[in-house]
Parts: sequence; C-alpha cells; structure tokens
Amino acid sequence: MTTELELRGITKRFPGVLACDGIDLTARRGEIHCIVGENGAGKTTLMSILYGLIPPDEGEILVRGEPVRFHSPLDAIRRGLGMVHQAFKLFPSLTVAENVIFREEPAKLGWIDRKRAVARVQELADAYGLAVDPTAVVEDLPVGVLQRVEILKALYRHASILILDEPTAVLTPQERDRLFDVMRRLRDSGRTILFITHKLAEVMSVADRITVLRNGKAVAELDPATTTPEEISRHMTGRDVEPVRAGAPTALGDVVLSVRSLTVRGAHSLPVVSDVSFDVRAGEVVGIAAVAGNGQTELIEAIAGLREIESGTVTLAGVDITHLDVAGRRRAGMSYIPEDRHRVGTAAAASVSENLLMGYQRTDRMRRGAWLRRRAVADHAGRLKDEFAIKVSGVDVAAGTLSGGNLQKVALAREMAHDAPLIIAEQPTRGVDIGAIEFIHTRLVAARDRGAAILLVSAELSEIQSLATRILVMFEGRIVAELDPDRVDEAEIGLHMTGGKVAGA
Amino acid sequence: MTVALVVAFGLGAVVIALTGGDPLAAFGEMLTGGFTGSGLRNTLSRMIPIVGMALAFSLAFRSGVLNLGGEGQMLMGALFGTMTAIVLPGPGPVVIVAALLVGAAVGALWALLPALGQTKFQVPLLITSLLLNYVARATTSYLVRYPFGEPGAAFASTVAVPESNRIPDFPFLGGGISISLFFVFGLVALLAVVYRRSVFGYETAMLGFSGPFARYGGVDVERKTLLVMASAGAIGGLVGSHLVLGETYRYIDADMIAQTGFAWTGLMVSLLAANRPVAILLAGFFFAGLQIGGFAMERATKVSWQLAEMIQALVIVAVVSRLGLTWRRRRKLGEEVGPPQPEMETAHVGEV
Repeated sequence: MTTELELRGITKRFPGVLACDGIDLTARRGEIHCIVGENGAGKTTLMSILYGLIPPDEGEILVRGEPVRFHSPLDAIRRGLGMVHQAFKLFPSLTVAENVIFREEPAKLGWIDRKRAVARVQELADAYGLAVDPTAVVEDLPVGVLQRVEILKALYRHASILILDEPTAVLTPQERDRLFDVMRRLRDSGRTILFITHKLAEVMSVADRITVLRNGKAVAELDPATTTPEEISRHMTGRDVEPVRAGAPTALGDVVLSVRSLTVRGAHSLPVVSDVSFDVRAGEVVGIAAVAGNGQTELIEAIAGLREIESGTVTLAGVDITHLDVAGRRRAGMSYIPEDRHRVGTAAAASVSENLLMGYQRTDRMRRGAWLRRRAVADHAGRLKDEFAIKVSGVDVAAGTLSGGNLQKVALAREMAHDAPLIIAEQPTRGVDIGAIEFIHTRLVAARDRGAAILLVSAELSEIQSLATRILVMFEGRIVAELDPDRVDEAEIGLHMTGGKVAGA
Repeated sequence: MTVALVVAFGLGAVVIALTGGDPLAAFGEMLTGGFTGSGLRNTLSRMIPIVGMALAFSLAFRSGVLNLGGEGQMLMGALFGTMTAIVLPGPGPVVIVAALLVGAAVGALWALLPALGQTKFQVPLLITSLLLNYVARATTSYLVRYPFGEPGAAFASTVAVPESNRIPDFPFLGGGISISLFFVFGLVALLAVVYRRSVFGYETAMLGFSGPFARYGGVDVERKTLLVMASAGAIGGLVGSHLVLGETYRYIDADMIAQTGFAWTGLMVSLLAANRPVAILLAGFFFAGLQIGGFAMERATKVSWQLAEMIQALVIVAVVSRLGLTWRRRRKLGEEVGPPQPEMETAHVGEV
C-alpha cells in the first residue's frame, strides 16, 4: 500500500498549552484511518493544521511523498484534501446545490448552469444514498440534513483525502451504516479517509487503522482486528472508564410535564409536530429518539416557549404554561439545555460569569430592584465553576474561548443549579469527550434521583438506552412508538425512527 | 488607538503636503484652535450633540439594534420641542422642561416606528430607521415652511423662542457653554452604571451578544428592542431640542439639516469607543476638538476644513482595522483549548 499522507513531528504551541506535541501520523491510500481522543487531546488542532487553517510550529506534512505547506484551506483543497466540519459552513440563504458547487460552479457561457448543478448534486446524492433535495434552501433544513450537504460538498470536489469530523453525530444507525458503506466505497476507490470520532463502536466497525491522541501526543496506533474498545478507551483517557449506568429508577412521583395534543406549524405552515401527547413524571427520564428533522427540535422549542404553539396544551407542575413566555415557563420550573450550545446555550462574547447568570438575573438572590447584586453574581459563578469543574482560569473570561465540553458544562451548570422540577436536555453530550459525557450523565442521573423529571432528546441511541426509563420515538412529527429501553435493541429503535413500524405494522 | 491616530494624522499630513500646505503648521493650528481658549469652549459646546448622539447610538447598538435613524429622531424631536417652547405659556423653567419632554417623546415615538416594524412585521429596522430620516427631513422642512413657519421670513424657520424659554449657559467658563453639557456628563455617568450594573444593562448586553441566547434565557427580546429604540430616540429628541433651545433659538430648516451630521459623528464616536459611555465622552471630546480645530486650521492656513473630517474618518478606519487584527489573533488563541469557535467563521444556519 502506498502512503498517501504523512505527518512528521507536528508540534503546535499556544500560550501555556502544547496542543500538538511531535505527532507522527501515516495514512495509506485506500484506508479508513480513525483518529480518536478526548477534547483537548489535539485532534482538532491537528486537523486544522492539516487543512491549512493554522500553521504548525514544527514538523512537516507530506502528501503523496511531497512536502507541502498549506497557507490556507484553499491550498489544502488544491492538494486533494476535503473536510467535513463539525460546525457547518454553509450559506443559509442559498440552495443545497448552490452551496455544493460554490467555487466550482458548472458554467455555460459564463453563467452558472443551474440545471447541470442540480443534476450533478442529485447524482452524487443518489450515488451515496444521501437523501437531500438539491433545490431546497439551506436555512429551511434541519441540522441532520445539513451534515449530508457538507459531505456532498467534499465529495463534489473529488477529495482524495477526506477528513470527517464526527460526521455521525446526527445520523440514525441505518443512516450511519449507509455512511459507512459510502466510506468503504470511497476507500475501495483509492481514497484516504481520516475519520474523527468519539464513538468506539464506530471505530471498531469501520476503521482500518486507529491513531489515539492524548494530551497532544499520538499515544497509540492500533489495528482494530487486534484491539478492544476497552483498550482504546484506556489509551484515550489514561484510565479505565465505566459507562454510567442509570440504575433502577426510584419510585415515580407525580406528573411534572404534561403535553396534550400539541400541534406546531413550521415553515410553509406545514405541521411539524402533530397531535403529540405524553407525560413525564418526577424521577423518570423520558428519551425522545428521532432522526433529525422529524419534529423533535420543534417539539422542544414549543415546550420551551421559543416557538408558537398551534393547538394543544403544555402543563408544568400543574401550571398551564401553553401561553406563558420563556421567563414565565422558567419561573414555573423549567430548565433547558439546548441543542445548539454555541448560539443558544451560551453567548461566546459574554463572560463565563454572565453566561452562568442568564435566567437568574431577575431572581431576588441576584438583584436588588433594578440593580444586580455583584457579590451574589460572582459567588454564583465561582460556585458553579468549582462544582461543575469548568476548566477556565477565571469566570471573567469570554465563554467563546472554552472547549466544547467545558462550554456544555457552563450550560449544564446553569440549568441544573436551581433544582428545577423539569430538565429538558437536548443532545447534552453531542461533540463532548468521554470524560465530560460521563460527568454529564452522572449529573442527569443524580437529578433524576432527587426527583427531577427529565426529558432527554438525543441522536445517541446508546445514551437514550442507558439513561431513559421510557423511549418515545418520533417520526414525521408524531410519536409513533413508546418503547422500553431494556427490551429493545438499537436496530429496532432505528426501524421505528425511520417509519418502518408505523401503526403497529 | 495610538497607532490609529498616527496612521490617520500621517495620511492627513501626506494630503496636506500634496496640496502644497505645511502639515505641521496646519496641525498646530488645529490643536491650538480646537483645544485652547475660545476654541476649547466651542469644543465643549460641540461635545453636547456629538456625545449625546453617540450615547443614543450606543444604547441601541450594544443591544444588537442598529439604529441608523438618529438624524430623523433628532429633527422631529427638535421641531416639536421648539414649538412647545414657543407656544406654551408659563414660567421659563417649566416651559423648558415641558419642551424637552415633548422633544424626547416625539424622538422616542419616531424611533418606535421602525422598532415596531421589526418586532411586529419583521421589517428590518436597519433599513426602515435609515429611510425614515428622509421622511423626517421632508416632514420637518414642510412643517417649518408652512404651519410652523415665521410668515414673511427670508428663509424657512420658526419664530425665535422667547428669551425666558431658552436653555441658559453656564455663568462661568467665559460663557457660551450651555448647561446641557452638565446633563450630558450626567447621562454618561448614568449609562455607564446602567450598562454595567443593572439587570437592564445585563439583559440588553446579552441580547447584543446573541439574540437566540437572550431569548432562550427568558429576556423579552421584543420589549427590549422597543425600549432601547425609544430611549435612543428620546436622547436624539433631547439633543435636537437642545440645539434650538440652547444654541440657535429658532428652528432654521437649512441649519438643522446641516446639524444632522452630529448623528453620524455620534455613530463614529460610539464605534470608536466600543459603546462604552466614558470612552464615548473622551472620543466625543476628541472629535469635537478635531472639528473645531479644523475650522481654525482653515481660517489660519487655507487648508480645507474637510481635512478634519477626513482625519476623523481615517481614525475610525484605522481603529476598526486594528480591531480586525486583534480579533483574528484572538481567534487563534481560542483554538488552543478546543475546536475552532464556529460563531466567528461559520454561517449560522438552522432554526431561530
């Protein structure tokens, strides 16, 4: 096998941090090379260096044996690299096809040949089983579909080295398997795939080789045929990690959240949530499983007061909150860890302290009349920083400088600090490392045990299976199944999620 | 800031030299003309509208509301404030306060139009607030020519405000400085404290940082938008009323149209000061001095006054580009601890 890509002694220092410490990595032509490691292990920095986003301090990159220096991603793309980012880089107001062809537009007499663009994108989408309408406008699309557009973008550019940064986070098991088929097909056609993931099961099923990063060093190169998930995990964390077991729930309490015949309309006034009813009782975790774009986001927004309710009622701890604003719902006992932690869950430009204050600024503890109690605000922030082990030098630092896991801890700490009867947790562990996942799960289980009602939405079926007392499956805006996590496997949940078992079929 | 000044004055010097002037002499005149003697008094006077309009702009801008309607809010407030001072009977101080209140109220109502357009009908405030300036210009021009105008006057203006109803000058400082300056200082102090220490200041700052975050946290985004716009418009109306009641004593159409420049200078000052009230006061003092000094320079050296305006704009350009540099540097630092921060580089897509 020929070497496609070689990294030699890549080192990158940031003030006070050695993000990459002499990393060597060799990827061969036609292999799926998994790069695993916790957040802060240096994966993202390494990939940013490889993709030309930041220059390395030391070390060199060789593509097909030739030393290269990338000054920008454009250089990297010219050398045949493609990257599917974790955070989407798309133009919201343009169509899927327009996004995919950007900078490589098929032209006819100097004008963009839209027909050909749409046809070409459709062709690619069909070839790899990525269900996308090329003429749809990106801002109307749910997160899961955006991921597919990102993958299409890289495929369209004929990348010979494809970097996939956690591409499976929003896919169902079936879609994930289809993506893995795509990846295998790409590998068989001679491409090299660098696959970044936290999920060891995925690594085991798809990798040809595994490189484990820890604290900026490549600590192990493993062969999936001869290693185990436990071994990989040990290399990643430097210790043994026990998955959090929810344990048997204590006795269920009263109904905390009651949703009745809830209908929500989305874009083009189509119903995106149709006639949904369910209860969440004190001391239980109800998990909602659904493929992205099946109404779960809108359902949560409607409950949280961020989206208009067409009909139906939402009751929280006996209070009808259907027509209350966000502040009213929070007063009634709602806390909410939102899916989009960068834009909704936190404000990057605001300090950690200001982020931790949100939602409490009108409580008597935090204000005296129109004025904030500065002492109380600082104490609150300091206490949560310590209690939730938020790694930051001080609470006056801008939240935007925190890593994904730490940022999520900020949102988690804020939402769990006031012991609300209802906690809505939406993708609480998406994109955070194993250590933080363990921490977040422990916290959620502890909240459940003290009698909180938890509504959990996750694309991570293993997460739902290990934490939920009951699983509700949503498909096309309706709840199509209620499952017992102890009696179903991933495949069966996945089948419900894709509408395979509607109405008892 | 220092770099920005050096760059701006450096380029200004090049321009002066190219037009055959002596840069050092010109800048010398500018400095002495703007910051000493009667020039300093004029500078302090000019600070009133500049700092006032800058505070009005900052109030909305730091809340994520881009209010470009300052000049309209100023004109409408000025005309109605003036008319109140002209027609309302009663003791002077009472009439002045009433006139200022009317000016503030009309400015606030004018600012609420685009705000309501945005919150109720999703019409972008940025555009409507700007376009309403033209409506305000035409409306005030019409009113001051016909219903409110002085009959038989050579140029379109109201009659003079009765002497008892004018805002007085400080009895000291050599005269010529309106006591409005005192209230501008008060407003700076008030806003500085409100921005940093109040629940309102906190919520609006978060709104400015991220609308979705504020909304999610229970901040009533619509009400806050209306509130900051009304407050900004009220300050604009006060500034406009001061310009007549404290400076020209009659609303002269052509004059007031020229004064709308203060709204834009104020915008620049607020940008330069990153919306911080105390910094606005300092930057406002500096810009006022540049303008007054520019007049002195033109009188003494035949270097055109427009050069002072050019330097102002260059300071902004230099400051803004330096901000861009630090921004980029900070972004790189941000990557040390985690993935690249998506809010800086990524198109935000998805539901709101």
